[in-house]
Amino acid sequence: MSNQTVIVRDVTKKYKMYKKPAEKLLDIILPKGYGEDFYAIQNISFEANQGDVIGIVGVNGSGKSTLSNLISGIIPPTSGTIELNGEVSLIAIASGLNNELTGRENIELKCLMLGFSKQDIKRLEPEIIEFAEIGKFIDQPVKKYSSGMKSRLGFAISVTVNPDILVIDEALSVGDQTFADKCLDKMNEFKEQGKTIFFISHSMGQVKKFCEKILWLEYGEVRAYGPMKEILPKYQEFLKEYKAMSKEEKKRFKQQVQLKQSGQNKPGDKLQTSSAK
Amino acid sequence: MISAFKVLNEQINSFYLMIRLSMYELKIKNNNNYLGMLWEVINPAIQVAVYWMVFGMGIRQGRSVGTAGHEVPFLQWLVSGIIVWFFISPAILNGSKAIYTRIKIIAKMNFPLSVIPSYVIFSIFYPNVMLLALIAVIFQFTDHGKISLYYLQLPYYMLAAIALVFSLSLITSTLSTIVRDVQMFVQSIMRMLFYVTPILWVPDPKKLPEFINLILKGNPFSYIVEGYRDAMLSRAWFFEHWEHTLYFWGFVLVLFIIGSALHVKLRNRFVDYL
Repeated sequence: MSNQTVIVRDVTKKYKMYKKPAEKLLDIILPKGYGEDFYAIQNISFEANQGDVIGIVGVNGSGKSTLSNLISGIIPPTSGTIELNGEVSLIAIASGLNNELTGRENIELKCLMLGFSKQDIKRLEPEIIEFAEIGKFIDQPVKKYSSGMKSRLGFAISVTVNPDILVIDEALSVGDQTFADKCLDKMNEFKEQGKTIFFISHSMGQVKKFCEKILWLEYGEVRAYGPMKEILPKYQEFLKEYKAMSKEEKKRFKQQVQLKQSGQNKPGDKLQTSSAK
Repeated sequence: MISAFKVLNEQINSFYLMIRLSMYELKIKNNNNYLGMLWEVINPAIQVAVYWMVFGMGIRQGRSVGTAGHEVPFLQWLVSGIIVWFFISPAILNGSKAIYTRIKIIAKMNFPLSVIPSYVIFSIFYPNVMLLALIAVIFQFTDHGKISLYYLQLPYYMLAAIALVFSLSLITSTLSTIVRDVQMFVQSIMRMLFYVTPILWVPDPKKLPEFINLILKGNPFSYIVEGYRDAMLSRAWFFEHWEHTLYFWGFVLVLFIIGSALHVKLRNRFVDYL
């Protein structure tokens, strides 16, 4: 079967932390590199099929945005492979609109950067404007837009270009309810068309309503991956536990995490969360 | 060598993209000023006026340039040479910071990154061509710089200027993404080159030490500045000094090969260096 659209194999993203700029220079010059390692993503493997809607959840700093950037090809992985069958489109709050240009100009600019031809852009432009619903503001510079308008325009561009794989990074949190509903409708339409959607959100309500699968990230690793009904309760349980932890326990937990992300701990070791109870 | 072809290929395949992006770049730059594009004329005019006062009137006491019989007033000599510098200098400065200031808005990895310096360079090139046309028109009302067949060389020298600036920007934009200090270094070098190129002062080969003559000749910018003068003041054809032409293109080729090798080798990691 070739309906797998995203295959992520052993992907690791390592960043270097430097105490001062001179260390960065040393890192470039020395063949072995220099500086403290930081693993934002460690040995992640998973597969996604056509028509999957996958919610990526996890607490702050667990690597959700790094993963979404990796999938959409903005940053290259340090090791491992990401195999994509189809075009990817990333929707994020800061969706790369230029403040000085008008909405209309931004549409062309963004489409150009996504590699569309002149004719395609002409065809897509009215569709995008219609979806964004920002009226007369389309010919105003983007700096005059409200944050909701910006995200609507960004969202409109990203969905109208008809990607096969869609990555949504907390982009729906800015729009109002009606627009969010419209977006959810559009995404349900995509779901039926057999597109793969990654959905990153802190809003459990939206995740519950929309996603079928959950990828739970914990400090750069996959804690669990499976059907929404199975995983989401566990995650919510964990959140409750995490909230209930005393200061001491939280500190200990964070220390473990730091050790893990600096690559000193063997990947695969489970963090001791429940025993801390 | 392979990377050089790769970069060249990207430039050709993404030509339409490059042109559109450069138009937008130009628009973004002039959007906030009321006078808009007019500044592309006002700024150079003020600079030329100052240099003409200080160097032409002050230091040269109004003497004209050139050997007897082929004399050109300093003003025309200055303008026909400095015009291309108004392209070269900002193009190199902006070309060097092109990648690290823009990579964030380039949404995807399959965007041909080598197009970034070239569209930035092109956005500076258009106003310069307009300025050149304006000056050529003004020249028609003076005794020097009348239109002639020699003017036909201008496109050739424009191409030479773009080729040189682009090859150089490939190197500097890659390096400055990794180490920002490179940008500062480029800035000082450009300020120095302004005086090492015969733009403001007329070098007299007989009076200067040999090594300074060599530096002036070896400076590829001299070739372009002098070329613009040859064309606008009807002095010579570019094939009349073919040794210099050959040297110039050799120089550009070496820069281009080094630049594309560096660029292609490091471009996958540009985002990590931000």
